[in-house]
Amino acid sequence: MRYLMHGRLPDLILLVALVLSACASDDRRIHIKIWHQKIGAERAFFEEAVREYNARHDDRVVEVLYRETEEMRNLFIVASVGGQGPDVVFGPSDNVSLFVLTESILPIDRVMRPEFLSQFSNEGIIEWKGEPWMLADQVGNHLAFVYNTELIPDPPETTDELIDVLRSLTADDNRDGRIDRYGLTWNYTEPFFFIPFLSGYGGSVMDDQGRPTLDTEATVKAIQFVLDLRDKYGVIPKESDYNVAETLFKEKRAASIINGPWAWDGYATAGVDYFLAPIPRISETGLWAAPYISAKGYSINANVPAERFPYVRDLLEYLTGAEMQTRMAVQLATIPVIDSVRVAPEVRNNPILQASLRQIEVGRPMPLAPEMRQVWDGMRGPYQLVMNGAVSAEEGARLMQREVEKRIRDTFL
Amino acid sequence: MLEPAQEVAGLEAGRKAKVDSATGKTGSPESPAAVSRHGAIRTNLFLLVLLGPTVLIVLAVVAYPFLYNVALSLSNMNIYHIRDWRIIGFEQYLAVLVEPTFWSIFLKTILWTLVNVVFHVGLGVFLAVVLHQKFVVGKPAWRVLLILPWALPQYITALTWRSMFNFEYGEINILLTRYLSLPPVEWLTSPFEAFMAAVLTNIWLGFPFMMVIALGGLQSIPTELYEAADVDGASAWRKFWTITAPLLRPVMIPAITLGVVWTFNNINVVWLVSNGGEPNDQTHILVSYVYEAAFSMYRFGWAAALSMIIFFILFVFTQTFLRSTKATEAAY
Repeated sequence: MRYLMHGRLPDLILLVALVLSACASDDRRIHIKIWHQKIGAERAFFEEAVREYNARHDDRVVEVLYRETEEMRNLFIVASVGGQGPDVVFGPSDNVSLFVLTESILPIDRVMRPEFLSQFSNEGIIEWKGEPWMLADQVGNHLAFVYNTELIPDPPETTDELIDVLRSLTADDNRDGRIDRYGLTWNYTEPFFFIPFLSGYGGSVMDDQGRPTLDTEATVKAIQFVLDLRDKYGVIPKESDYNVAETLFKEKRAASIINGPWAWDGYATAGVDYFLAPIPRISETGLWAAPYISAKGYSINANVPAERFPYVRDLLEYLTGAEMQTRMAVQLATIPVIDSVRVAPEVRNNPILQASLRQIEVGRPMPLAPEMRQVWDGMRGPYQLVMNGAVSAEEGARLMQREVEKRIRDTFL
Repeated sequence: MLEPAQEVAGLEAGRKAKVDSATGKTGSPESPAAVSRHGAIRTNLFLLVLLGPTVLIVLAVVAYPFLYNVALSLSNMNIYHIRDWRIIGFEQYLAVLVEPTFWSIFLKTILWTLVNVVFHVGLGVFLAVVLHQKFVVGKPAWRVLLILPWALPQYITALTWRSMFNFEYGEINILLTRYLSLPPVEWLTSPFEAFMAAVLTNIWLGFPFMMVIALGGLQSIPTELYEAADVDGASAWRKFWTITAPLLRPVMIPAITLGVVWTFNNINVVWLVSNGGEPNDQTHILVSYVYEAAFSMYRFGWAAALSMIIFFILFVFTQTFLRSTKATEAAY
């Protein structure tokens, strides 16, 4: 203190300032930030691609940050509204309506060249209210029936066949009263995984006007079908969230799983010989159990100033271009959204990709309406109540409808 | 480094110099008064340098967010009015208070807090008293073992417990069915059991804090008091209630106050063990309900009003509890 009290304080402040300025970087490169929600093999591929891009450019550096899908959407909206956030955000197409509603992103044609965009199929450019907001690097994000080929040589085509196959595979090998292997598993705490069954019974979550349509016979039958698989036939586990389902399939304690492309590569890594097939048709209706299909892609933060557009443009042309989509299709089995890539020999000759395309052909496009957020949240609770036996399938459907309507109403306050 | 007495003398001299200055009787540059005045200025400058950043940080990270939250709670901000929000008065507060779910979750939060804190304090003090006994061997090892739940990151513990509560593959049900011949419990799919699962996890996480505080308190109790009690022939039970408990009180009351506030606001455990309020949003406490309203339903104004109500509840509780227990008087 004596040192400070005798006129040395300014010296100390000067010293601190010098140290701080010395610590400050003289990095004059342009920093481009991307938030993404890619996981597993897709994330490793993406980070490697960005490393390659950075190695090619001395004047710029791309920084990537992983965030979980919902957390990323929320934080991006908050950051963008506050004038901050990354330059580019990568995620599923159902983010678009919320981003547009909150004026968080720019139309991509304000940044990208028309001749580049013209290569893309309609699925590759996500439009909302007449303007393009997202540039996809893949379409899909779809659930499929993934089966262990050692246990299921030929996938079932109908739910009647499915039940027969699953019953033959569900086994208590050591006779201790506990099932050692189930026929099928999936995350049945999440309504996203319920959609194929709802579609298969002819139902949907909302009509063309965005009004919820859940209190229907189709919903009741779809719920009952899932309940029967568990309680009547005993071919799926008593409880199964995402992690339990993944573990069971990877450890060969489940012969099949319903899951999406983000997870498939992990099965090969875990040593499971797997293949894909469309989720079977519902025998009663003859309709495919159709999962939602959506693209995943890049959107540009509304706060990106015009002088940074060339850098963002160059980066997105690299990340979504034909070369990258071909590499992704070959290595990750993602479905390209550039027409010329989709018909390339590498894609046509890839059996996993072709199987994935077969599922896409019978899928349904995911609605982009912002009310989908309330739909998922409103469905989740009643669906869980049904699954834990607290309410009947009929009551579950009624509660879903009521809850979704309430949440949509509440959000306006 | 100045001794405290020297600092006081400097301040006194500085104050005197100010008085002199006010009456126009300034001293010469060489005079002791002028030297003292410069000393006082330097002292004040030094205090300003020390306090300034703290004040700025407190304003930035406490006052500004708090006031912003107050403004949001009076606004119509939601996903449709995130940029063009405006003040609408107390509508959001009214909307919170007429929502039946708010009241059921409020009661659940009180139950959650009460059960947790009772077990945290009961277990913590019990283990501290046991560990404080002379006959316990390997005290440091026991202490480390018992502090472990508190030392681990909460989210890791919570997710581990969640997997242990799985109906078919979780260790808890395996223990119940295989070794105790009891039926398995649907820990994560039934509302009451899921809430119990979160409570059990939080009890596990929270008792070490109270144990550490109680251990510190026990070590400050003079052993002569126990020796005197022994001479009087007091039983262990009587010694606990007449010596240990009253002398632990000044240490434990602030810890209990903190424990109540932390438990009331502990979103991590409830959120992670019940996977965001499952089943059917029936395991929420108020703070996880706020989180869901804000970041799942984007009802920012409504969530801000609810968070202000939570703040008010905790503020009233803290003031009332500290005043009624006279904890601060006893502590100081």
